[in-house]
Amino acid sequence: MNIYFKKIAVPIFNKAQKSNLGRKSINIAFLTRKFIWRFNNTSTAGIYLVKNMHKIFNTNPKLNYGSQIKELLDKVNINIADDDFIFFLDEFKNLSYNNTKIENISIDYSKALNNSLHDFKEFYSQKKANKNIDFIQDQLDMLEGTELFILKIIDAIKSSNRQDKDKYISFFENIINKKATHFEEALQRILFFNQVLWQTGHLLNGLGRLDKILNDLYYEDINNNFLTKEEAFNLIKNFIKSLHSYYWYKSNALMGDTGQVIILGGKETDGTYFSNDLTYLFIEAIKELQLPDPKALLRVSKDTSRDLIELSLKTMNTGCGSPLLSNDDIVINKMIEFGYDTEDAYNYVVSACWEPSAVGKGIEQNNLNFFTFLKPLNNIFDNESEEFINSINDFDKLFETYKTYLKNEANNLIGILDGLEFNTDPILSMFIENCNANQLDISNGGAKYNHYGITTVSLANTVNSLYNIKQFVFEDKRFSLAEFNKMRKNNFIDCDDLLEQLKNNPKHFGCDDEEIISLTNEIIDSLENCFKDYRNKFGGQIKFGLSAPSYISAGEEISASFDGRKNREPFSTHISADLNKDYTELMRFASKIDYDGCKFNGNVVDLMVSPNFIKNNFEKFADYIQLSIKLGFYQMQMNVIDSKTLIEAKAHPELHTNLIVRVWGFSSYFNDLPLSYKDLLIERAIKNERNLAF
Amino acid sequence: MTVRVTNIQHFSLHDGPGIRTTVFLKGCNLNCPWCCNPENISFEIEKYVENGLKKEFGYDISLNELEKEILKDEIYYDNGKGGVTFSGGEPLLQIENIIPLLKHLKNKGINICFETSLSINSNLVSMAIDYIDELFIDIKILENEEALNVLNLNLDLYLKNLEIINHSNIKKENITFRIPLNNEYTLNENNINQIINLLKKYPYKVQIFKTHNLAENKYRLINKKQVEIKELSDNEINEVYDKIKEITGNVEVISI
Ligand code: SF4
Repeated sequence: MNIYFKKIAVPIFNKAQKSNLGRKSINIAFLTRKFIWRFNNTSTAGIYLVKNMHKIFNTNPKLNYGSQIKELLDKVNINIADDDFIFFLDEFKNLSYNNTKIENISIDYSKALNNSLHDFKEFYSQKKANKNIDFIQDQLDMLEGTELFILKIIDAIKSSNRQDKDKYISFFENIINKKATHFEEALQRILFFNQVLWQTGHLLNGLGRLDKILNDLYYEDINNNFLTKEEAFNLIKNFIKSLHSYYWYKSNALMGDTGQVIILGGKETDGTYFSNDLTYLFIEAIKELQLPDPKALLRVSKDTSRDLIELSLKTMNTGCGSPLLSNDDIVINKMIEFGYDTEDAYNYVVSACWEPSAVGKGIEQNNLNFFTFLKPLNNIFDNESEEFINSINDFDKLFETYKTYLKNEANNLIGILDGLEFNTDPILSMFIENCNANQLDISNGGAKYNHYGITTVSLANTVNSLYNIKQFVFEDKRFSLAEFNKMRKNNFIDCDDLLEQLKNNPKHFGCDDEEIISLTNEIIDSLENCFKDYRNKFGGQIKFGLSAPSYISAGEEISASFDGRKNREPFSTHISADLNKDYTELMRFASKIDYDGCKFNGNVVDLMVSPNFIKNNFEKFADYIQLSIKLGFYQMQMNVIDSKTLIEAKAHPELHTNLIVRVWGFSSYFNDLPLSYKDLLIERAIKNERNLAF
Repeated sequence: MTVRVTNIQHFSLHDGPGIRTTVFLKGCNLNCPWCCNPENISFEIEKYVENGLKKEFGYDISLNELEKEILKDEIYYDNGKGGVTFSGGEPLLQIENIIPLLKHLKNKGINICFETSLSINSNLVSMAIDYIDELFIDIKILENEEALNVLNLNLDLYLKNLEIINHSNIKKENITFRIPLNNEYTLNENNINQIINLLKKYPYKVQIFKTHNLAENKYRLINKKQVEIKELSDNEINEVYDKIKEITGNVEVISI
């Protein structure tokens, strides 16, 4: 969402939340979109909604949040599956809220596995000096509501058709008063808390390091002959299918954007690389199931084994977009340098897409907004007088002017972040470290870490624009800056040759070229300077990354740019270089970008690869990934597609119902995407294939 | 010291083992009708216009710069598993110029590969052999007169050079013959028989491929006309494959 739109929309939205009618209208608006996704047909969605309008329920906003959760869970329609895991959502029942929701994080599910509700209750009921009565009351009310909800589920299981009633009854009873003791039980417990998070309005819920969290219970069951590897594999597949159910409900900005990321593998504090059977089984399951969601992120290091890299590559080559690779050899150090404790950095997960964060330790609002690098540059040229523009007589002066404008934009953004108020959140507070010890809700700064994160777009367009100006105006003196700007303002109409030159400058973002790399680093350092002394009201800092979801929508608001991008065209995606001829150069470039300081909030190299290219060169491509880890990319993902299939799927969606593509940090069915995304993917695939036809 | 190149291609996966950088040296003394790199034939720098932009095929690069460019991907060569491939054109025509570079690369343990047609002065071959780890040798037309008329290839010289290679220290398992196939020039009974005889004498690895007309655009840019050549059917190439397979197990069909 554009920051100015957000500026207007968020207050309206928050205001509307405060009245019954307003809340209902918002619910209807949201549900309409979700039902259109669900039924893939506007009129069916409309009819369904009208028929069920009476079911829409919002909790009483006058109650404290703990009681609202209790009220909500009491109203939820229970729906017990006949077999496999139990997971259900009631899309009509909503929690009322009046501030920004805390979302887009993973709780540490090991806390849910190792503690029962009674353990938490006992903790909150302890006699303490300086008790924060409001906080404790919220927590106890929430716990009571959750316990009652579980009891209702148990009743429903009893009267269900399930064959395994006793087992599942005990799984649910144990949530109340015991820690989890078996692998299957652990999966069900994770699903239960995940369900509660979704039901209470949390969006983009990550799953955390499931191979690590489940390690002990899995091997205990295996060693005690309680479970075989095959059974575990089937359970994992069912678990993934359960997470995938309600895909339409869980999707956020676009269909598929659910934030359900499973983190696998990872470097240990002693430098060794952790992986286990489950690491492989989760990836195998994702490869076999071919669902766009949930997705996997594999934490890799130079010690990640060859067979795990090969399995990942095979999985990516199915086109499902998973796993994204995150390079622990780089990411962890950057987190520690920023200020995370070593142990927390080694245990990192990511927010919905790729933003590294300490699991279960912080508010970690990593995608609160985005910054458009191109905007300050275009502001100069859209708004300043010709006289002013002509007074910019060398590149240094231009860059200094750009930095001033960039600072203004950054300050605008800081103003928006400072205005944020978060919604009280007893569930997250229960799981996030220090909230309990501090007796302070996460929304009030109770967590151990209180950092804000933003993403950025259009870095590539900005680098290329600035470099083109430098070359064409100040070095080659082909025209004055004002003349160049005139052509740009005129959307480069009748300048076809120039446009080609601007778009295809051999020196561009993604080139392993000292000048381009230092320009790129200077731009991001300038933004870092705007943020580095900032502290939010909880003492947290701002972090940013170079990958962002909004490359299409943000582009729609920005005029033509000197990189040859026309009015309102999309920006380039992540760290990709559709102009690059070879993949090694892009990796060299990515490994020379400075991710220090606060610039570590997700930096993904986005590779477009055609499926046959990997298939025909599998061993060498696996080498490429392993050696690129050594070289030091930050994160990478692959979109394995060919333009022919995409073009055909656009024309005949019915023939390609299962075609999955990677969008930003998530995958989606191609058919579910808006036209603008389809066209951009097709265009990128064509460019990529042209480059490879050497 | 400079060399003349048309292109330096990183992440090249089909020109030898591992991940490689292929350096296309400009200039060739042959004139194969199916050539898919026509911009590499003339040693002269060739100007052309594309999308309104004035461009050139070919530029001179200092050995230092070239070395830097090659070493940019050193990590991807993975301790000698991959490396650099000199292609062209006929890369051995510029061998004298690049020897200092080859010495440096050899010292650094970078695997060095050449792709050659071998119709060159034998001195050049002798100069090169100490630096070569991997070698691709074309087999095109093995009939004296036709080789000369169609390709400008001196068959005696070719065979003499082959002997030099065969007696060199280049490991036999690192030598590969590459055979371009089309009905118009190379795929006829007589030529195939000659090829089979040659393969019996030099049992190196073999790669066969269909020639194609994909370079049409490049011919147009340098004002040359491409000779129309019909692409072989899979059946036709498979027949050749089977014949070669009878004498050597190490043959594969590749696409170029
Ligand atoms: S030897 Fe190679 S470069 Fe030279 S003309 Fe023949 S095909 Fe072209």
